Amino acid sequence: MKIAVCVKQVPAAGDAKINPETKRIIREGGKAVVNPFDLYAIEEAVRIKERTGGEVIALSMGPEKAKAALTEALSMGVDRAVLLSDRAFGGSDTWATSYALAKAIEKIGGVDLILCGKQAVDGDTAQVGAGIAAKLDIMQAANVWRIEEIGADTVTVKRINERGWDVVRLAYPALLTVVKDINIPRIPKLRDARAARRAEIPVWKPEDIGADPDKIGLKSSPTQVVKTAPPAARGAETLKIDGSSEEAANVFVSELIRRKLV
Amino acid sequence: MNTEKNYLHKSYHVEIIPPKQDSEKLEEDLILFSSKLERVMNSGFTASITDNAMGLLAFQGHECIEELGIPIKPGQILIHLNTFHTKKDLHEILTGCLKLGITSILAVSGDGSTRLPKLSPADVEAENAASVTSVELISYIRKNFPQFRVGAAFNPYEPEKHEFEKLDRKLAAGASFVITQPIIDRNAAVDRLLREYPELPVVIEAWMSKKLYLLSDVVGYPIPEDAEYDPIATLQKLEDIYSGCGSYLSLLGFKTQYPIIEEMAKEGAV
Repeated sequence: MKIAVCVKQVPAAGDAKINPETKRIIREGGKAVVNPFDLYAIEEAVRIKERTGGEVIALSMGPEKAKAALTEALSMGVDRAVLLSDRAFGGSDTWATSYALAKAIEKIGGVDLILCGKQAVDGDTAQVGAGIAAKLDIMQAANVWRIEEIGADTVTVKRINERGWDVVRLAYPALLTVVKDINIPRIPKLRDARAARRAEIPVWKPEDIGADPDKIGLKSSPTQVVKTAPPAARGAETLKIDGSSEEAANVFVSELIRRKLV
Repeated sequence: MNTEKNYLHKSYHVEIIPPKQDSEKLEEDLILFSSKLERVMNSGFTASITDNAMGLLAFQGHECIEELGIPIKPGQILIHLNTFHTKKDLHEILTGCLKLGITSILAVSGDGSTRLPKLSPADVEAENAASVTSVELISYIRKNFPQFRVGAAFNPYEPEKHEFEKLDRKLAAGASFVITQPIIDRNAAVDRLLREYPELPVVIEAWMSKKLYLLSDVVGYPIPEDAEYDPIATLQKLEDIYSGCGSYLSLLGFKTQYPIIEEMAKEGAV
């Protein structure tokens, strides 16, 4: 089985900055990490490979430094990785990103299963996974929390829905976005981390994947970001309670009940 | 003085932090780790190797030693082990240590992070526990890997009643020595510890960074950033006050402080 797993490098929590003109995230400088949900996709892809054999290819789009995210994927057991990087890709919205990633997956060729995290924690759109499936015109299931069966021609999964969960069977090639309940991502071993850092990560440009220049980058992105703003600070309040431990505990519990927190 | 206590007096415990998982210069960091470890071995001190300190992902001490083929004296290594692992990784660490001949563990609850897994009560045969703390971890190691001598942490900044009750549970679980949180002067809780547990080997942690304010979270009150602090003088003071205890040196500077420590050891300060 050939599995592609999509990986995004996102700013570390608290390190995100927005370009005031484009309203898009500035990805240069600052500490960056693998999108947390993508770690679950990587782990699941590697687990499937360990069960059934085959190959896992990690794919990312971003600046050169996004190779660090792919290196982490390699250290977790991915076989090889590819980075889409070029100025022409810069500023791509979810539509243009889905297009570019789909073109790259076509170039890889013969991919049976595509795994993505359920969403990226920077944009929070949850659109790219679905977008890739739409561009490739393949079956997809979002918010998968368990893979029930990897068959010869189909994959059966449990996905979260509004009422709980349901079971769906998808014919290959298929795309799954996964939630964090699906597994516990492994912590890379030193030996694997060293090998991953030595691995060559090819960089593909638009022409390498046959991408139409009019479908990538900021100018080709239909999303118009009208306004961005940091989320409002959460209300916090400090309550000082005097008295003995027993009295203070009683007051504390009463306060929780009064505020309907328990 | 019992053998264990005697052992703990013979050398400094020098804290060594393994390279971080996200290191951008991993090979350099590994060389540095290796050189520090070899230096501590050659000095006759004990290398105390942390486990994802502060919840920051790092490589495990035993895998660094094995991967790099670092020559060690197993009796001079103390591996920290916290509760933020999968059961599989826990066993890999313990069996990896035994393979290298390392038999000393410091079991702590530890600091978690969103990236780190957490042992479940079922993982450590503690189904009745609400969660896994150092107590359950100590018990599990002693029961399933009796080759290890396991130490526990003692926090003199916690409410005393609570901390001593927890200490009793750690000792009942099989802990055979204690390392304190850093102190910088005589401490009433440590005095009580030594008074009430005269046979228990105790190692006093000395804060070797000049940045005393970094201890604010540990002590539970803010320490000004410009607070003046002399780590070497503090260490000497602690050794005078607690002459019957070992010394654990956290954040020790290897360029300037280490030679002084070596001299102190030669002069019989410990």
